[in-house]
Amino acid sequence: MVIDSLCDQAGDKDVAVVGLYCDYLAQQEQSATNMLGAMLKQIVSRGGIPEHIREAFRKAKKKFGVRSLLLADMEDILKKTIASLPRVFICIDALDESSPKHRLELLKSLRKIIRRSSNTRLYIAGRPHIDHEIVKCFSEAIRIPLCPTHGDIKSYLEMRLDGDTDPNAMDEELRANIMRIVPEKISEM
Amino acid sequence: MVNFVTEIDAEGHQILQWLSPLEPQQRHQGVRADRLDGVGNWVLETSEFRKWHDLEDGSAQPVLFCYGNPGVGKTYVR
Repeated sequence: MVIDSLCDQAGDKDVAVVGLYCDYLAQQEQSATNMLGAMLKQIVSRGGIPEHIREAFRKAKKKFGVRSLLLADMEDILKKTIASLPRVFICIDALDESSPKHRLELLKSLRKIIRRSSNTRLYIAGRPHIDHEIVKCFSEAIRIPLCPTHGDIKSYLEMRLDGDTDPNAMDEELRANIMRIVPEKISEM
Repeated sequence: MVNFVTEIDAEGHQILQWLSPLEPQQRHQGVRADRLDGVGNWVLETSEFRKWHDLEDGSAQPVLFCYGNPGVGKTYVR
């Protein structure tokens, strides 16, 4: 929703919005280098591939096959690419699911990049236990606790009840009870 | 995501592959399709979100962290 709302507002202004998510099952593959690379990929696949990236690629290609990028090179390329854009939003979901080692590397790289790029905003979502890691890298980070509102829960329940494939099992009283009790119980959690 | 995609040549495809094997866009489309309209919109209205989003210069804190336990809907808010 944040990503889509940023995209909608961006319209055709030169605002780049990139989205990443982490997954327990892909911890190996989701290294800091690959994640920064995925951000770059999203930026350049829409805006075109800048010449400095093509040059870096051709240089890497001369050696045996294509040499993959090191983290420091990736940081430089991303910094350069971001600098050419008016505004960039980076959104990362489930950061807690990345491996601790990759996460620390990624946060450190992003800190370096963001310090140099005043046009860049970083959005991170994750479980509370990574809070101290975020604060360590970004001491002034703005933090919002996420908790569904009563309205959120009611909309969701209504959607599920309206989509019930066996509506005969439901009557008005049961429906009213569900709509009353479920949000109450969730608030107590 | 913006629908406009620049045409990419053969070298371009190799470069994209070289930059990263990850394809995060695909997952975003899946989450987006399941999302219920209006739910979670309150996040966008919070003063914290606005402060993070609206400031034009680099003087503000550029990092926003939304946290919650499993199941509260972090991925859908994303």
